[in-house]
Amino acid sequence: MSSSSSDDFADLESELLAISSDESPDDEEVEVEEEELEVEDFENKRIKRQKVEVLEEIEEAQGSTSLGALRQESGASINDDICPHPASVGGMCVVCGEKEVDGSAVPFGYIHKALKIGSQELARMRRADLKSLLQKKKLYLVLDLDHTLLNSTRFLDISPDEGFLMNQTDSLEDIQKGSLFKLDSMHMLTKLRPFVRTFLKEASDMFEMYIYTMGEQSYALEMARLLDPGEVYFNSKVISQSDCTQRHQKGLDVVMGADNAVVILDDTEFVWSKHKENLILMERYHFFASSGRQFGLNFKSLSESSRDEVESDGTLSAILKVLKRVHQSFFNSDNEANLMSRDVRQVLKSVRKEVLKDCKLIFSHIWKREELPENQKLWLMAEQLGATCTTERNQSVTHVVSLEAGTDKAHWARKRGKFLVHPRWIEAANYFWKRQPEEAFELEPPKKP
Amino acid sequence: MFFHIVLERNMLLHPRHFGPHLRDKLVAKLMKDVEGTCSGRHGFVVAITGVESVGKGMIRDGTGFVSFPVKYQCVVFRPFKGEVLEAVVTMVNKMGFFAEAGPVQIFVSNHLIPDDMEFQSGDIPNYTTSDGAIKIQKDTEVRLKLIGTRLDATEIFCIGTIKEDYLGVINDPGAAV
Ligand SMILES: [Mg+2]
Ligand SMILES: [Zn+2]
Repeated sequence: MSSSSSDDFADLESELLAISSDESPDDEEVEVEEEELEVEDFENKRIKRQKVEVLEEIEEAQGSTSLGALRQESGASINDDICPHPASVGGMCVVCGEKEVDGSAVPFGYIHKALKIGSQELARMRRADLKSLLQKKKLYLVLDLDHTLLNSTRFLDISPDEGFLMNQTDSLEDIQKGSLFKLDSMHMLTKLRPFVRTFLKEASDMFEMYIYTMGEQSYALEMARLLDPGEVYFNSKVISQSDCTQRHQKGLDVVMGADNAVVILDDTEFVWSKHKENLILMERYHFFASSGRQFGLNFKSLSESSRDEVESDGTLSAILKVLKRVHQSFFNSDNEANLMSRDVRQVLKSVRKEVLKDCKLIFSHIWKREELPENQKLWLMAEQLGATCTTERNQSVTHVVSLEAGTDKAHWARKRGKFLVHPRWIEAANYFWKRQPEEAFELEPPKKP
Repeated sequence: MFFHIVLERNMLLHPRHFGPHLRDKLVAKLMKDVEGTCSGRHGFVVAITGVESVGKGMIRDGTGFVSFPVKYQCVVFRPFKGEVLEAVVTMVNKMGFFAEAGPVQIFVSNHLIPDDMEFQSGDIPNYTTSDGAIKIQKDTEVRLKLIGTRLDATEIFCIGTIKEDYLGVINDPGAAV
């Protein structure tokens, strides 16, 4: 026999002794025993075998108190001094097997329900993971589900005008081909956003992707199955409500990616209060009637008017182009040597600044005169998109942004041949990361009396 | 490790079952109640192999139910620290891999996978040696050693290692194709 097998035996012995020395009153083992009213019968001669004797030893040891000295010979106690207990599963250290609890450990329920990772180990893993990811020329992409990649509605919220959809759902046998699914167990209809399959496929060449939703785990996993029936993209990377470490907030603390390499796509800004710089805010996908109502929108939904976003020219296709720009700019910049210290947040910032970079805006009647323009959301948004904002009319101004066509500045714009646009022109540029054609947002001149 | 042991249990039976088939009823109920359960002390009850004896029934006051002390032989499976087991890999991720040996779930962390095996993400995540000769992915059979066990009322969970001599892949489904 090899020496390792005798070690094994020593460990087995120590295990038996560990059982004996466990005196904790709330020990589960004791509870079970009382419940089941089980009594061994080791006196039974007929079935007594060698293996039974091992159990018998457990029994005998249970009453004994003189075994503490022996226990110190076990391998496990040596580990106590050197093992950093980096992570645990079910309360057991994954390296030494000891029952250690690190108070600062973060639960990673989406990888395994009983897994917790200590902060140092997490930092180590993040670094190692980032390094290998960057070698593959990839970054991290965190994807929200509802209104970003898809839209769901409960059966009971389906409006009469969209009821016809119930008979037009696609087969769950061939998920890859469909986009509208009826999920009987969840009493739900789900519509995938047009272009999402191409989006995921192309994004996966540039990013390691996570799903991150405020929905429940069962819902999240079901949606992951619809988006990724081949389990190619999101294996062990579906984060849901119960994984969040802070209520009503999504955090990158449970993502195995370093903050400086994560891009987030989400239609809800406030949940990412700590990671705004990583966020690309998505225009909401409202397919079903109930979805728009939730947000106080009262016009006909896409479903009710039998329309949808255009596959090749919708939000996801526009955002994919942005992601390609960001990815290219991250890996192609001149400071090739220092990949690890690059920051995708800076890249996002500078890519965003190119959107309206040659525009000089002046605002008319959008906020009250006494309010500071520099604090206005629209002003800040335009500046983030690279526009110059001013309060002075002069020749260098390119656009007048106004809610009404009859203001002084609006007249001035028409006279001087400047663009006169609705504020939605800026909002649209903000969603698509692209300067929008002004004609689509032009204000009609006021009718002559 | 498997053990063949005798256990005793008090079985409650409704009076409608009293009759010539009382014993059969008791045995059927016993199997239903006990097989597949887990006790912290004995481990997982794999199968009942025989009934030793059925004691005298006692009427429970106020209910009409009768409780019978039943002694039965059964095969139990209980993992021990230090035990070497063969298991099938069920999930692989960057933390390590999960494997199953019958009713027992085992986690092997990347710390306890040999250093020359590296994690590869992708549609079939796996740990592979740099020369590609050895690969651990879903459905791979591995021999591992348990370094920690936790038994509770419903499940058995263990921590394992393959970072020792004679441990690791014993059958690689990926290599065959
Ligand atoms: Mg959302
Ligand atoms: Zn440890």
